[in-house]
Amino acid sequence: MNRPVYLDYAATTPVDPRVAAAMAQCLGLEGEFGNPGSASHDYGAAAHALVETARAQVAACAGASPDEVVWTSGATEANNLAIFGVAHYYREQGRHIVTARTEHKAVLDPCRELERRGWRVTYLTPDSAGLIHPDQVAAALRADTVLTSIMHVNNETGVVQDISAIAAVCAQHGGARLHVDAAQSIGKSALDFAALGADLMSLSAHKVYGPKGAGALLVSRRARGAPVHLTALQFGGGQERGLRAGTVATHQVVGMGLAFELARTAPPSESDRIAVMRERLWKGLAALGGTYRNGDPAHSVPHVLSVSFEGVEGESLLAAVRGRLAVSTGSACNSTSREPSYVLRALGRDPILSESSLRFGLGRFTGEGDIDTAIAVVAEAVSRLRRLSGLPG
Amino acid sequence: MNYSELTLRYFDTAVGVGVLTGLDVYRGSAGSRAQGAWVQFDVQVNAGLVQAARFLAFGCPHTIAVSAWVAEQGVGPVSTAALPCSVQELSDRFAVPVEKRGRLLIVEDAWVAAVAGALQR
Repeated sequence: MNRPVYLDYAATTPVDPRVAAAMAQCLGLEGEFGNPGSASHDYGAAAHALVETARAQVAACAGASPDEVVWTSGATEANNLAIFGVAHYYREQGRHIVTARTEHKAVLDPCRELERRGWRVTYLTPDSAGLIHPDQVAAALRADTVLTSIMHVNNETGVVQDISAIAAVCAQHGGARLHVDAAQSIGKSALDFAALGADLMSLSAHKVYGPKGAGALLVSRRARGAPVHLTALQFGGGQERGLRAGTVATHQVVGMGLAFELARTAPPSESDRIAVMRERLWKGLAALGGTYRNGDPAHSVPHVLSVSFEGVEGESLLAAVRGRLAVSTGSACNSTSREPSYVLRALGRDPILSESSLRFGLGRFTGEGDIDTAIAVVAEAVSRLRRLSGLPG
Repeated sequence: MNYSELTLRYFDTAVGVGVLTGLDVYRGSAGSRAQGAWVQFDVQVNAGLVQAARFLAFGCPHTIAVSAWVAEQGVGPVSTAALPCSVQELSDRFAVPVEKRGRLLIVEDAWVAAVAGALQR
């Protein structure tokens, strides 16, 4: 039985076989299963060495120093550590945060929680292309702003923000540290933590052919001539410089390190190939008529295509392609809810079109045949659903 | 979202989709696309008998599946403007989540409007 064509790489990716093999080497008796914190014997030392190699790999891929990498369980934890960590550490300096309406829930929900605890949050609205402009950030910064959190690559639209310019605005302000959710960035868009000037950056392994359950927070030690301080969220062992207590999962971080290394050394032609396929997909879908591309393609990574379909209901569209095509409506985290995408609503799409969108995520294993199948399956589903509601198919 | 086998069967086949024409055809509709669900029924009624029924629907798989089922099951003798079974029974039969029960009321309103038109003739 054929499995559905997988075009949900923005939700997650399969683990690269080379990554899986490296991870497996850290699990059994014959491998490096030791506790990386057990420096007193060879088992611990060997695991520690692997963890530090992985740390260097992640740092090299993201343009950071190894001592700026703090392991987490994923980007969600990294976002929480960054936002709560800064908010609490600098609470005497101020209790105001700036972010955007199009952020992932892993940023928005911590901000909402801080609001319940007395912080104030300004939510910026992007333009219709999905872009947050630096002058919007500048206008939102206040004397008591301690943090700005803006994502690099949007998970629904693929739109890439001008982090460097936003970082410059924050640096000029002085007190507003910049956190960047870069969960979707690695392997898709050039990323240089140091050059961008961000203070904190969240990373994820499973978006780039690494394992789920592994991520990192980059904590700048140099951006403003001094380290960024965070209040830790968990305690009990002092690992990761006291910022993230708990035994480091050697196999997970080894997997993340190798996945990032593979992303760093991947030929540029890989992105070019995916960009060509994305345009092929868009042209095929646009031929249906009544289709709207979400986000500015000129400012987007090549791996994501978000399309709204006039005259169809989103849940039915997803159900109509099931079994043949694996895509999502909006972010994976929203796929169980059927609310119109808040990201597309923030871009100005009307509720019906926001609700009738599909996000196509292309990846390393996507082939032209997959794209052609996707076009055919979606075309059939859209035509059928339009006819069901009395519209021309 | 998980759907029952019955829901998927009627959603996939959508038997009874379309419109009817003729002097003995009555139409009823309810809901709107802006609401996320819109349903239209055409019923052909003669001598107290629904001889044919067709539907059009915009909405979730439950809305489409239930509309298709009602169009199929609604054929036959008719004396009151009511669904072939209650909304609660439809909800149970198609395993409709509680937050979607409102969609079934739209299906009911559309069917009742169509049949009531015929009965008031």
